[in-house]
Amino acid sequence: MQKKIMGFLALLIFFFSFVGSLVPSANAAEAKKTYTIATDTTFPPFEYQDASGNYVGIDLDLLKAIAEDQGFEYRLQPLGFNAAVQALQSNNVDGVIAGMSITDERKQTFDFSDPYFEAGPIMGVDEQNTAIMSYEDLRGLRVAVKTGTEGAAFAESIRDQYGFTIVTFDDSTQLIEEVKAGGSAAYFEDYPVVAYGIAQGNGMKTPLGKEAGGSYGFAVNKGQNAELLEMFNAGLANLRENGKYDEIMAKYLGESFASEGGEIEIAATPQMRGLELIGASMPAFLKGMGLTLYYTIVSLFFAFILGLIFGSMKVSHNKVLRGIATVFVDIFRGIPLLILAFFIYFGIPQAFGFTMPGWTGTAAVLALSLNAGAYVTEIIRGGIQSIDKGQMEAARSLGVPYRTAMRKIIMPQAIKVMVPSFINQMVITLKDTSIMSIIGLIELTQSGKLVVARTFQSFEVWLIIGIMYLIVITILTKIADRLERRISRG
Amino acid sequence: MDKIKVTGLKKSFGSNEVLKGIDMEVREGEVVCVIGPSGSGKSTFLRCLNLLEEIDGGQVIVDDHDLSNKNSDINKIRENIGMVFQHFNLFPHMNVMQNIMFAPTELKKQTKEEARKQALALLERVGLSDKADAYPSSLSGGQKQRVAIARALAMNPDVMLFDEPTSALDPEMVGEVLGVMQDLAREGMTMVIVTHEMGFAREVGHRVIFMDGGYIVEEGTPAEVFGNPKHERTISFLEKVL
Repeated sequence: MQKKIMGFLALLIFFFSFVGSLVPSANAAEAKKTYTIATDTTFPPFEYQDASGNYVGIDLDLLKAIAEDQGFEYRLQPLGFNAAVQALQSNNVDGVIAGMSITDERKQTFDFSDPYFEAGPIMGVDEQNTAIMSYEDLRGLRVAVKTGTEGAAFAESIRDQYGFTIVTFDDSTQLIEEVKAGGSAAYFEDYPVVAYGIAQGNGMKTPLGKEAGGSYGFAVNKGQNAELLEMFNAGLANLRENGKYDEIMAKYLGESFASEGGEIEIAATPQMRGLELIGASMPAFLKGMGLTLYYTIVSLFFAFILGLIFGSMKVSHNKVLRGIATVFVDIFRGIPLLILAFFIYFGIPQAFGFTMPGWTGTAAVLALSLNAGAYVTEIIRGGIQSIDKGQMEAARSLGVPYRTAMRKIIMPQAIKVMVPSFINQMVITLKDTSIMSIIGLIELTQSGKLVVARTFQSFEVWLIIGIMYLIVITILTKIADRLERRISRG
Repeated sequence: MDKIKVTGLKKSFGSNEVLKGIDMEVREGEVVCVIGPSGSGKSTFLRCLNLLEEIDGGQVIVDDHDLSNKNSDINKIRENIGMVFQHFNLFPHMNVMQNIMFAPTELKKQTKEEARKQALALLERVGLSDKADAYPSSLSGGQKQRVAIARALAMNPDVMLFDEPTSALDPEMVGEVLGVMQDLAREGMTMVIVTHEMGFAREVGHRVIFMDGGYIVEEGTPAEVFGNPKHERTISFLEKVL
C-alpha cells in the first residue's frame, strides 16, 4: 500500500513536469543547445510588448543582433526584473538582459558583460506639478522607486539629506500609476525609461537633469556560461564597429542621442485609448483567458487526485496515514500561495541545481495543485465523514471489502455533499491563477500587465480584465449549479 | 453443533470496559434473544460477532472460523453472517433491487441474472414484490427494515444477527418486521437478536440471555427467564419492561 502510494506520487511528479512542458508558451523548446535568457516585462524602451504582442526594445534588439552575429540560439523569457534575477540565481535561465546596472554588489553573484549602455537616474513628476522644482521640494513627501534599480539606490542616498520617504514597487508601470494617483510626489528611475515614457505621453515630466550613474550589462551566473558571456562581448564590439549598435539606439532613443550621446529625443507615438485599446488588446486578453482556464483545469485535475489520495488517508484507520495527510493539509493550507509559488519556482531549482524548460508553467501548476489539493482533501474528508457510519457498516457486514464499500457506497453519496464546495474551490483556483503572473506565468492578469506597461491605461485594462474574470466565473458557476442540481436529483 | 462459540470476550472503548468476559454459544438453528437495560453491552456484544467492533480479549468462533485471529479473512467470514441494523442502513442512492443485488453481484457470488431472480424471490418472501424499483426514501420504516432483511439474506448466510430491529419503528409497523423474523426462525435460521420486544423473545426465542453491566447475568429458556427469573437484576429489569 505504502509502496503503491510512493509509486503514485512519483508518477504524479512526472506528470506535473510533463504538463508543465506541454504548456503553450511564447517560447517553444528547440532541440539544439539553446540559451534561455530572461528579461523584464515592462521596462521600455529596453523591453516591452508592442501593440501586436511581440517583445521589443533596446535590450532585445541588441540580443538579437548579437546572437545573429555570433551564431547562437536563445529562448527569451520575459519574467519581470526581480523574477529574472532570481531565475538566474537559481540557474533556471542562462543569462539576464534587463537594463541591469552593473554594481559591486551584483558582481558578487553574477558575471557581467562589457557595459552596453550608460544610464543614470532621473526624477520624474506629474506634468501638472509645479511645486517640485528641486530635490529640496521633496521634504516630507513620498517618492516611488523600483526595487533594485539605480533610481532606488540614488533616492536612498539622498533621502536623509532631503527628508522624504521611499515606497518601492516591482515594475516601472506602477511608479507612473503611483505618481498619477498622487500616492507619491515623484519617482526616480533610469533616465532612458523616464524619457521614453514621457515621449509616449504618460503625463510625466523631468524638472531636473539626470544624475551620474552606472551602466547596464548582460549578466550570467558567477562562473557559469563563460562562453555565452564571451560571445556577447565579441558581438557587442562588432555591433559598435559596424554601426548596428547606433542604429538600434537611434531607433529607440532618437538620432541625436545615438550620434552625439546628447539628449534623448523620441518621437511620440499616438496612444490608443478606451474602446480602441480594448479592441486592439482583445486577442491577447482572450489568449490569456484561455491560458488561465487551461492552468485552472490542469491544476484542479491534480488537486483532485491529491485530494482523493490524502482525503482517503485522512479517513483511514491507520494513524500514520492520517498523520501524513494532516501534515500535508496543514502545510499547504498554511502557506500563502504566493510564498509557495516563490518557493517552488525559485527555491527548488536553486537548492537542487537543476534547470528545466517550461519550469514556469510546471511551478505554477504545482503551486496551484498543492494549494487547492489541501483544500480538496478537506472537502473530500468532510464529505466522506458526513455520510452515516451505518452505511459503511451495512456494506462491511455483507462481506464487501473496505475499498469497494468506499467506492460504491460511500463516495456516490459523499460526492453530492462535496459538489458545492468543489464549485467554490474551482472559482478560487481560477482567481488564484492571477497570482502566478508574479513568477512570469502568461495568463489573463499577465496579459493585462503587459498592455498597461506599454500604454499606461490602467483604468480601461483592469476594468476589462476584471469583467472578463467575472463573466467566465459567472458562466462556470451557472453551469456548475445546473450540474449540482442534476446530481442531487439523480 | 455450535454455530457460534464465544469465550472470555472482552471489549473496551477507551477506559470504559463494555464487555467484561462473555461466554456463550449458539447451536445451529437456535434463536437466541439478548435482552437487558441500555448500556448493558448487548449491542456491542452482537457487533463483536461479525467484528464490526474489534475484539480486545477472548475468542469468537463462527462456523469454525476464529474471528479473533488476525489472519482470518474477515470479508469471507462476514459473507456468512447477515446483519440487520436498528436504523436499516439501506443504501439511499440505490433502489430496492440494487440494494439487495449489490453484495452478491459485487462479490461475484452470483451473476446479475441469478441475483435478480433471487432478489425478486426474497422480496416476495418479505412481502414487498411491488417495491422492487422504489428508492428507500419512499418506503415506510417497516418496509425499509424488511428490505434490509432481504438484503442480508441475499448472501445466503448461515447466521443472522439483529440489532434492535424494531426499535426505530412506529408501533404499527413492528408486527410486519417481527412476522418476517418469525418465518425465518421457523425455517431453521440461526439467529441472535438484540431486542426490547419481550413478547417476541418469549414466543419465538429458544433461549433468552439477560445482560447487564458487561456480563451475562442469566440465561435459559424463555419460560425460565421470564417465568422464573433467579437473579435480582433480572427480576428488577423484567418488572420495569413487562
